[in-house]
Amino acid sequence: MPDKTIAIDGCDTLPKLFLRKSAERGDRIAMREKDFGIWQSYSWDDYRERALEIAHGLLSLGLQRGDVVSIQSEDCREWLWADVGAMLAGGVVNGIYPTYQTRQVEHALSDSSCRFLFVEDEEQLDKYLEIATALPNIEKVYVFDWRGLRGFEHDKVAPIERLYEIGDRFGRDNSGLIGKIVADGSGDDLAALVYTSGTTGLPKGAMLSQRYILFQMQLAPDYLRQSADDELLTYLPLCHIAERIFSGWLPLAHGATINFAESPETVMQNLQEVSPTYIFAVPRVWEKFYSRVTTAMSEATWLGRKAYELALAIGRRRAGKLERQVSLTVIDRLLFAIADRAVFRNIKRVLGLDRAEKAATAAAPISPDLLRWFLAMGIEIDELWGQTEIGIVTSTQQEVFRFGKVGLPFPGTDVRIDDNGEIVARSDGQFDGYLNLRDKTAETIVGGWIRTGDVGEIDEEGYLSITDRLKDIIITAGGKNITPSVMENELKFSPYISDAVIIGDRRKYLSCLIMIDQENVEHFAQTHSVPFTDYRSLCARPEIVELINKEVTRVNQGFSGVEQVKKFRLIDVLLTAEDEELTPTMKLKRSFVSEKYGELIEAMYAS
Amino acid sequence: MTVPLLEMRNIETYYGPIMAIRGVSLAVDEGEIVAVLGANGAGKTTLLKTATGALDSNKGQVLLDGREIQCRDPDWVARQGIAHVPEGREVFPFLTVAENLAMGAYNRRDKAAVKSDLETVYDYFPALRNLREKMAAYLSGGQQQMLAIGRGFMARPRLLLLDEPSLGLSPVLVQEIFAIVTRLNKEQGLTILLVEQNARVALTVSQRGYVMEVGGMVMDGPSDKLLDSEDIKEFYLGKKDEGVRGRRRWKKRKTWR
Repeated sequence: MPDKTIAIDGCDTLPKLFLRKSAERGDRIAMREKDFGIWQSYSWDDYRERALEIAHGLLSLGLQRGDVVSIQSEDCREWLWADVGAMLAGGVVNGIYPTYQTRQVEHALSDSSCRFLFVEDEEQLDKYLEIATALPNIEKVYVFDWRGLRGFEHDKVAPIERLYEIGDRFGRDNSGLIGKIVADGSGDDLAALVYTSGTTGLPKGAMLSQRYILFQMQLAPDYLRQSADDELLTYLPLCHIAERIFSGWLPLAHGATINFAESPETVMQNLQEVSPTYIFAVPRVWEKFYSRVTTAMSEATWLGRKAYELALAIGRRRAGKLERQVSLTVIDRLLFAIADRAVFRNIKRVLGLDRAEKAATAAAPISPDLLRWFLAMGIEIDELWGQTEIGIVTSTQQEVFRFGKVGLPFPGTDVRIDDNGEIVARSDGQFDGYLNLRDKTAETIVGGWIRTGDVGEIDEEGYLSITDRLKDIIITAGGKNITPSVMENELKFSPYISDAVIIGDRRKYLSCLIMIDQENVEHFAQTHSVPFTDYRSLCARPEIVELINKEVTRVNQGFSGVEQVKKFRLIDVLLTAEDEELTPTMKLKRSFVSEKYGELIEAMYAS
Repeated sequence: MTVPLLEMRNIETYYGPIMAIRGVSLAVDEGEIVAVLGANGAGKTTLLKTATGALDSNKGQVLLDGREIQCRDPDWVARQGIAHVPEGREVFPFLTVAENLAMGAYNRRDKAAVKSDLETVYDYFPALRNLREKMAAYLSGGQQQMLAIGRGFMARPRLLLLDEPSLGLSPVLVQEIFAIVTRLNKEQGLTILLVEQNARVALTVSQRGYVMEVGGMVMDGPSDKLLDSEDIKEFYLGKKDEGVRGRRRWKKRKTWR
């Protein structure tokens, strides 16, 4: 079992490190958030002051070490203030997806025996109010944004400002208390609960210790290339472990500045405004960049298109050499510099990638061709692999390109392949099990190693590659094993396809449910005069079905007979993050989708 | 399949650099009342102006009886049988009621028919008969709206475009005017494309409806179905979904399903 002490500058917990680093950084900018359309800055002093007020406030309300404090909000400055504040007071932080339905919120709040709850606004508050009587454990609810609630009275609910006041007063009367509580903390303390999305059954609460957090923190800047001068854009839910690491914990340890995206819909625009130097994105976002450029190029002038093609050819040549580890000639460098200046720089500026010196992808498999395209433009994307239960475990190395592989394990972690092909891993900072689920924990942690549920291979150099999720592997009626994610990735590489789920377990042949990329398909319909009114009618147009059919046929060419998708259907409902078909990072949930669209699927197998 | 009387396909219309309508398609069949709903600035009026040629679309087609009529002069379009009753009535203020109505028939040469149509208008809008010789500027808002519709009818159009007839009128007058509009449709066989913010009345009189938002269509369907949709109820009909707090939420997401 992991029992090594992990410390940064002598601090073995996040609260200790926060008190130290925030004092050192003082009035340097910690975060920016838009208020009425203008970016406002908050310094490390502000961060510290608010976090301490929240900590003192919670203490004055009787918070004990180990009590659970939940945060149910979109990303915003208060999210991190409450996160750190609760930990300073000795609490355990449980992030709840703001897209959760009331039923899921109830599970996360009752399962964790939550005592204090932070909600973003009236929308989130309403979810609590609907189930308030079922949650007697909750003593107080604080609302970040009181708009729309003026005159509202409830003995458990108050605006966050009230807590700042209580905390401020309590802090003045009890100076030194927080210092003592923080000093008493250790790496073994439970720090956070992260409920994993759970495609089947209810979400499970993964218990993360302070050691887990510190382990992730110390991976930067050597293995995770984030450092003090970086500007980041925060747009994935902070409840998700990846954004928590990249926007919460790493900046806290190393001092990067974070910028909150206004909303999930404005990410592309905010990227342009912020132009981050370090970009962490899920494959869906990287795919979006690519399809934007492809679409823009399709309607560029002849000259513009030729320039792009030429620059891309130069870029690909250089990328190919880098991939094969062939050293670049002076000519290569010169040509690339010209291509970059003349073409790529403009594209990158429009996308908000012009300052992106460092980039990373994780949370889902990504198409190697996509990574090659970015490298051709001069953007090197690190591929990372990990999961909530173990944190980030592997990363690709700089200037070593093994596309399709997720790199080498970090020091302090081990990865091996089990007899059934499953990847098992351990880390000095892995999770402590699932809350209230002894059986599930025992199934997952076996002899100190974590069964990851991923299937993969390790090559002779030690590079890990991921084949698929173990439970997603399809065995066709003909007995052939098929890993759907490879093909799904190829499909998603199409600018017209946002996501795809391949079906075919115990079936005669493979079929596929496809979610179209609304923006690009609408654009296609416009340029080709395909009339439609709403999303549903767009999906029903024969021209659009034919467009997707072409994409499927193209992808099929790369696969053998049994692996080919014979039929497909489009999901004609425009799904949002609130819908249960999607994970919070907007991936289609395979099991849920197969159930919900059962009829559609059966229709593909009816002769 | 029969050809719709009016069809708009993939219309894109700009005001300078601003795209006011981005890819809108709709169809109106002969004899129908079709409603287009949407908040201020959704692009409804722009849509009508594009149909009549008052604005030129940058992309897409407008088809009358399957024949392309986009980007033609408005007077030519009017002669093809589309009459536009503009938002805010826009009667000729210094002409009398009778002269205003005569202006509606400006393009017609069939004097006898014009005369009988004038009687028809006075039958549908009896108030106008007594005001015949009055200057239009002196009419009340409701009377002016009646006059504007009557003027449109005088052109004996194949399709009448009605832009927010309920604007600034009292609820009783709105009921009255829409009752007449329905009768014109039923009794005179007048096909109507109706743009409205008053969703309840528009969906009650129409057979089909479209919902526009920021320049695009987000929903369409038979009017009774639309009346049943949760989002329409919430955002257009002001249904009081009180929820747990006994108050409406000011921030809510639309899904248009």
